[in-house]
Amino acid sequence: MLTVAIQQGINGIVVGSLYVLVALGLTLIYGVLVQINFAHADIVTLGAFAAYFFMHGLDGGYLASIGVALLVGAALGFLVNVAVFAPLRERGNELLPLIATIGVSVMLENLMLAWFGPIPYAFESPYSGEVIRLGGTFFTVQSLLIIAMSAATIGLLYAFMKFTFLGKALRAVAQDRETAGLMGIDPNWLIMLTFVIASALAGMGGAMLGPVLVLTPFAGASVIVKAFAIVIIGGFGNVEGTIIAGLLVGLIESFTTQILGPGLIDIVVFALLLLMLAVRPTGLIAERREENV
Amino acid sequence: MQGGGSLRWWGILAAAGVIAVLPLAFPDSYWRTNLIVCAINVMLAIGLDFVLGFAGQLNLGHSAFYGIGAYVSTLLIMRLGVPFWAAFVIGVIASGAAGMALSLFAVRLRGHYLAIASLGFAVITYQILLNWISLTQGPLGIYAIAPPPPLALPGLPAIDFGNLANLLYLVAGFALLTYVLLDQLVRSPVGETLTAIREDEISAASLGIDCRAWKVFAFGIGSGVAGAAGGFYASFVGTLVPDAFFITESFTVLAMVIVGGMGTLSGPVAGAILLTILPELLRGIGDLRLIVYGVTLTLVVLFMPGGIAQAARLVRARLGRSPPWARGGDR
Repeated sequence: MLTVAIQQGINGIVVGSLYVLVALGLTLIYGVLVQINFAHADIVTLGAFAAYFFMHGLDGGYLASIGVALLVGAALGFLVNVAVFAPLRERGNELLPLIATIGVSVMLENLMLAWFGPIPYAFESPYSGEVIRLGGTFFTVQSLLIIAMSAATIGLLYAFMKFTFLGKALRAVAQDRETAGLMGIDPNWLIMLTFVIASALAGMGGAMLGPVLVLTPFAGASVIVKAFAIVIIGGFGNVEGTIIAGLLVGLIESFTTQILGPGLIDIVVFALLLLMLAVRPTGLIAERREENV
Repeated sequence: MQGGGSLRWWGILAAAGVIAVLPLAFPDSYWRTNLIVCAINVMLAIGLDFVLGFAGQLNLGHSAFYGIGAYVSTLLIMRLGVPFWAAFVIGVIASGAAGMALSLFAVRLRGHYLAIASLGFAVITYQILLNWISLTQGPLGIYAIAPPPPLALPGLPAIDFGNLANLLYLVAGFALLTYVLLDQLVRSPVGETLTAIREDEISAASLGIDCRAWKVFAFGIGSGVAGAAGGFYASFVGTLVPDAFFITESFTVLAMVIVGGMGTLSGPVAGAILLTILPELLRGIGDLRLIVYGVTLTLVVLFMPGGIAQAARLVRARLGRSPPWARGGDR
């Protein structure tokens, strides 16, 4: 019984840390722009496909494919910002950019469907077969790799935001874009940088999620709805809250699968989300931002 | 928006005339089927526009209310033997009540939070339809749903809705009726109140408007209309599977509203018709329907956020009063 619990706990942390990577991107963008990028899901999917084709078409290694997915994600984030968010910024409407990215998302998903087809791709990491045994519990090298890479990435991002000049500038823009502009920080450049970083995380998350998920053009969409839930549960725009909520949702998911069956995961996660919205809409860690509540 | 009151009624009369000749103009069942789908989409679009365009609330859960209407009415008919129209009304009430319940839950939320809460509601509803197999038969679906029962008017032969032309009259007529009712509502003080809340909630509240109650009301109406569309959908298609009410359906209807022009009722009607018929005409290139939706949705938001309604106004302004060279700046 205890070993089952430990095993599910590890699975939950693996999935949860990948959710954190995806959700952090949403949180970063929301923190700076107070906007939601719905096409974030498809950056995850395209990251996964980029990694898959790099491995199977170009005979690349798995670790290198994660790097490729990161670059593809960064490029896509750059494009989404240039094509949608930058032109809509002056209009100042809070819902139009969200609606426009829903359009981008529907378009990308169906373009992928036309190109890649609906049949799932078998994306296998070479590390999924290597199993380490510790007492009664097993874990694959792949899951260790995911936890280590996610932790390292999150740590780097945290250090970047806390200690570097650019990170401080980003936080300044998030707090008050106009004042930051007066201090000689170019907000447009920093918003672009935020999109690139956020989307690089999504692409990288996609490459690591590829072997976990069923890789179809809609793989990202199934992750993103949970990422939205995580971002709200953690408190929109709040990095620490997002990390905690992401791991929590991963754990809830793996224990729901164990106890109630996999069909009920979304229901449990979103029931938690609605409960959270009713009881504590500011999220686990309250932000100063209150205008949405 | 435009014209006087009488002009509007002439437009509605013209629409009724068009509906009257539609089955005569399209004798083949392929186009009649498409036109019924069109009428259902018009209902979905004006229902969503009432919530989004007039009350200013981004509802991504429209697919769920559509599905609730369809499943509740069908299950009542097939499991409990409830007569069609009674089941239809209960389905509409159930959808409206679900919308009001979600709205009550999310009433403190605005903008993005509401969008995600309603998206979450759509995900939960879809998963329940998929997983509650003893009730909904899950992904296998419910089959052999009968069309609405024949309508027997005294002194006339019974109208059989198994006939596509009659069903088209029924659904399109109902869509027109819904349009007229929503149009009246929007032009009444109720519409003005909702617009005031959309524009500035705090000022509206300071005038003594109970913003909460009005938002819940708007959500209830919009979801109820979606429920009615669902009731017709089930009896028209004859089968129900959860996939018909996946979140994509919410995005499809959103595209119709935005392409038509949110905040006007006639715009989303045009959007729904265009986005239903256009992909049928483009069928030769394969199933590109959703790609077309995605591209048009993005382009319209970027370049013409007022949609077809805005384009029509611009054209009228150009053609109408003064020649373009005699006018000053365009804005």
